[in-house]
Amino acid sequence: MSERISSGGSPAIQAVGVVKTFREVTALDGVDLTVGSGTLAALLGPNGAGKTTLVRIIATLTRPDAGRIRVLGYDVATEPALVRARIGLTGQYAGLDEELGGQDNLVLIGRLAGLRRRQAYQRAAELAETFGLTDAVDRAVRSYSGGIRRRLDLAASLMTRPGLLVLDEPTTGLDPASRQQLWAALAGLRAEGTTMLLTTQYLEEADRFADAVHVLDRGRIVASGTAAQLKACVGSRVAEIRLDDPAVVPAAARTLARRLSLPLAEIRTDAGAGQLSLAARHGTATLLAMATALQADGIGVSDLSLRLPSLDEAFLALTGAGTAA
Amino acid sequence: MTAASRRLARDTVLMAGRQLRVLRLNPGRLIYPLVQPLVLLVLFVSVLGDLTISRLPGGGSYREFLIPGIIIQNAALTAPTTGLSLLRDTGSGLADRFRSLPMSRAAVLLGRLASDAVIFAVQTVLLLGAARLLGFRVGTGLAGLAGVVVVTVVFGLSIATTSAWLALLVKDAETAERVLFFPAIAIAFVSSAFAPVGELAGWMQPIARANPVTAATGFLRSLASGGTPAVAPLLEIACWATVLLLVPGILAVRRWGAPS
Repeated sequence: MSERISSGGSPAIQAVGVVKTFREVTALDGVDLTVGSGTLAALLGPNGAGKTTLVRIIATLTRPDAGRIRVLGYDVATEPALVRARIGLTGQYAGLDEELGGQDNLVLIGRLAGLRRRQAYQRAAELAETFGLTDAVDRAVRSYSGGIRRRLDLAASLMTRPGLLVLDEPTTGLDPASRQQLWAALAGLRAEGTTMLLTTQYLEEADRFADAVHVLDRGRIVASGTAAQLKACVGSRVAEIRLDDPAVVPAAARTLARRLSLPLAEIRTDAGAGQLSLAARHGTATLLAMATALQADGIGVSDLSLRLPSLDEAFLALTGAGTAA
Repeated sequence: MTAASRRLARDTVLMAGRQLRVLRLNPGRLIYPLVQPLVLLVLFVSVLGDLTISRLPGGGSYREFLIPGIIIQNAALTAPTTGLSLLRDTGSGLADRFRSLPMSRAAVLLGRLASDAVIFAVQTVLLLGAARLLGFRVGTGLAGLAGVVVVTVVFGLSIATTSAWLALLVKDAETAERVLFFPAIAIAFVSSAFAPVGELAGWMQPIARANPVTAATGFLRSLASGGTPAVAPLLEIACWATVLLLVPGILAVRRWGAPS
């Protein structure tokens, strides 16, 4: 684990053996999770893995059937009021009153969270400035675009400077520019040392921003670590070759299978890009063997590379979602 | 005052302020609750007001008998909107926001009731004004008019609280919309609002006698007639209000705040 994860004294979130069942469906099946103070943790998982359920339990909206979760030192089941006073939640659906203006929302939420009138107005103006919302705060929220709405929702969660910010798929449904703006806002918060837990479907985001990635699959944490550690634990690096002529990709795959004595299924092909890749069990030696084999059959190679598996590949390997493909 | 009750009071005021601000920003929302009752009043009185009915208690005109009934019936039919709007919040991300804030949970319902009390009061004042133009007088003067407003608001809030609890039980907004107005219409009609209890179908009479609509209408009529206000219906409506504000009120707050 990196320096950031172990630093900061007691963890912001400590979950042990958390179980939650909805009727017949087991949403969480014994989740253990630790999020260090001052870090950004990403919770990654396919749809239905239990991400939202875990977030709702941390935010005191759902009660676990078994297990314990302490958030900023307080038990979510027995001390929910103390937890609520210290966290900010940005849920999957904007927690805003559509009929009211942006500033009305910020002030209302700030005052309900305990700020005095003047403090609430000051903080609202400050956050509007930070998140580039000053032109929007006087308009009704229902007139907002998706990106502005998300940023206002995030600002609302920050009215009381929470010790932990929980975000459930904050960038889902945003266009690329809005996503970048939201990520810039989150990066700013991270630089200030705000502890964050976010769920995401975008592996690239977890890769770029998170100090720690926790992979949730079918109600269990199947892997935890930095993005690099997760990629490494998938095993060997990937040898990738690009051909001069994309049309000969199938022939090249057969050549590699024959000359390197590999099952054809282990060779991944991308005919469109004219690429072939396979697990480089012997590192550069595998790469060289591939090049030599192709040369012997007169297939022209334009590019060779050895790379770490992408988080996508790691994710598919860890959750077993790719086995059927 | 303890910290918890201070917080409850503050949060209730904030939540009521939120509703009223929404109305101020969207004045079109007021058309339904404020104009529709006036239209109904004029229609009812024009169609039925001049009927000659010989067996009215006290022997006044049907118009005098009918108008208090319309005022209370209108409150009963407005009340389900409390439950429906509470339900609309519940299904949105806003409910999760409120539930994750360190705010008083009862304030969500109480704030809604407080802003609805303002609507009930304005409605009643408008109805009394229009009724005056139609020849209706409250014989007990200003105090009597204030009495009509207070009793109508308290009655309306009792039914509104019940509708809030029922709405949260039903959960689905579309179903609630259909389900909540039925009991409201039933209690409005199986009562003395439009006809003396003795003139109703036999099986209806015991229900009509126990109905809070009958009690509230009876008290309003006694205020309008100008004699001594009747004590029995006032006590009855006070009992109903205590029960309906407390029991469904507490159940609704619990249901709203319960973690899933």
